[in-house]
Amino acid sequence: MSVTPEEVRQIAKLAELSVDEEHLPELAAQMSRIVDYIAQLGEAGGGGAGDHAKPFIPGPDAIRLREDVVAPQPLEGKISDFAPAFRDGFFVVPKLGAFDAGEETA
Amino acid sequence: MTEVEVLAAAKATATRLSKAKRLNALLTPPAVVRKSLVAQAKAVRASGVLYGMPVAVKDNICTLDFPTTCGSKILEGYQSPYEATVVTRLKAAGALIAGKANLDEFAMGSSTEHSAYGRVLHPLDRTRVPGGSSGGSAALVAAGAVPAALGSETGGSVRQPAAFCGVVGIKPTYGRVSRYGLVAFGSSLDQVGVLGRSVHDAARVLSVISGRDQRDNTCEDRDSLRLPTVPERLEGFVIGIPKEYFPVDLHPGVRRACDRAIRALKDLGAAIRDVSLPHTAYAIPTYYVIAPAEASSNLARFDGVRYGSRAAGVTTLADLYRQTRGAGFGPEVQRRILVGTYVLSSGYYDAYYRKAQQMRALLAQDFRNVFDRGVDLIFTPTTPTVAFKAGERTKDPVAMYLADCFTAPANLTGVPAMSLPIGRVKGLPVGGQFIGQPFLEDDMIEAAYALERAISGTDEA
Repeated sequence: MSVTPEEVRQIAKLAELSVDEEHLPELAAQMSRIVDYIAQLGEAGGGGAGDHAKPFIPGPDAIRLREDVVAPQPLEGKISDFAPAFRDGFFVVPKLGAFDAGEETA
Repeated sequence: MTEVEVLAAAKATATRLSKAKRLNALLTPPAVVRKSLVAQAKAVRASGVLYGMPVAVKDNICTLDFPTTCGSKILEGYQSPYEATVVTRLKAAGALIAGKANLDEFAMGSSTEHSAYGRVLHPLDRTRVPGGSSGGSAALVAAGAVPAALGSETGGSVRQPAAFCGVVGIKPTYGRVSRYGLVAFGSSLDQVGVLGRSVHDAARVLSVISGRDQRDNTCEDRDSLRLPTVPERLEGFVIGIPKEYFPVDLHPGVRRACDRAIRALKDLGAAIRDVSLPHTAYAIPTYYVIAPAEASSNLARFDGVRYGSRAAGVTTLADLYRQTRGAGFGPEVQRRILVGTYVLSSGYYDAYYRKAQQMRALLAQDFRNVFDRGVDLIFTPTTPTVAFKAGERTKDPVAMYLADCFTAPANLTGVPAMSLPIGRVKGLPVGGQFIGQPFLEDDMIEAAYALERAISGTDEA
């Protein structure tokens, strides 16, 4: 397998995803299948030929910028309506570090 | 239509949507849709070009009247505080929003089997998939519940389900339609698209939603699309047939239907020319580097802090992120986030991501070479097979990904493309695809009008 269960564990950590230990071998097998498939790009040859080909999709330099002016928020509802927890103008999240489960602070 | 007729039509639509419930294509409960449709019909302005037309909206497009779940547990019950520009424009044109259509979670899939709210059934054969990820939108149009629906495309998610279900699907040029309010998956690829029961239904909805929008800086500063007239003939059109889209293992019924469509195009006066798009085989591996890479970044925002659900009983911020995302995202979304993180990680970036961007430019050059030699449009099959059986490809992600092998090139290069029904194989629809030049959707639609009139999309091929 080109991707090992240990690598999946490390990638999941980077991606901020909890993954069940029991699913690691299956995920590693599926990721290996995908990675082996996309690896054919390396055999496509052409070296850096693509560097000089012109894509249709314009790059960041073609993006129009708006004037930097204060405009009314287009939101129909309040931000507090869609966050899991919101208090005094702040999103509320559990405190960094260990503490009693269920405790929250701004 | 009079106000009374619009109200009656709205109620009839609600009844049809209710009857289509067995397909699991609509995420909004029928009673909620009925109430909303009646209220909209009473309030809608009579002057719009889509006056009274019910349009279902894929559930990754933000609406104020209904929740926006993206087919995911992580956004269960999420009520957007703003509305997508495309929805605002539909309403301004007099259309009635007919609820939210089921989809593969966050638009990641080719069969609509990856929704947290259950799979969508094919309207003609319940054992098969309707395609994806806009499978709910396609199934609702194919079942006759609505004349048109909005979908979204990242790798073929409008055209592929349109082909499987026997309806019309249009993916406009990247930058033709505002994406403000479309939940981001792969930002260099995503476009809102339209599914319709006919070329005209799909095209007129596209015309309404297209055009500049100052809330989306990737939307080009252009007027909305002007609809072409229905042509009698296609004289003057040069249509390219790329050999790479007709491999030896192409489904024989799909090949027969395409051959018949090509004969019809020739009979209509179009010049048919063999062309080559040599890098086509690399489109899917390229897509499955770029799309997951962009998805892994875009979906980082779903962390249990600002949107949707939050894992309970966590003790650290890292745990909050990981547990929320681990429990909230389904297997396919997790797999793509992992692949995206992998290809962007140190040591692999050059081998995968950089290589994929080079290949993407070569794919664009392929199209440019063909169009520069006087070809107006390209005609291909939309999919290599007809709709496959549910569960047939869920165990092998690569087999599932290959369902998009003829559609992903247009997303990677930004060109417009559309699918229309060109026949059936043992009762299952086959789609034919036109690929056009950037911002020349009108040429593509003109040819589709003519082909639609020349052949029956429901005849056996």
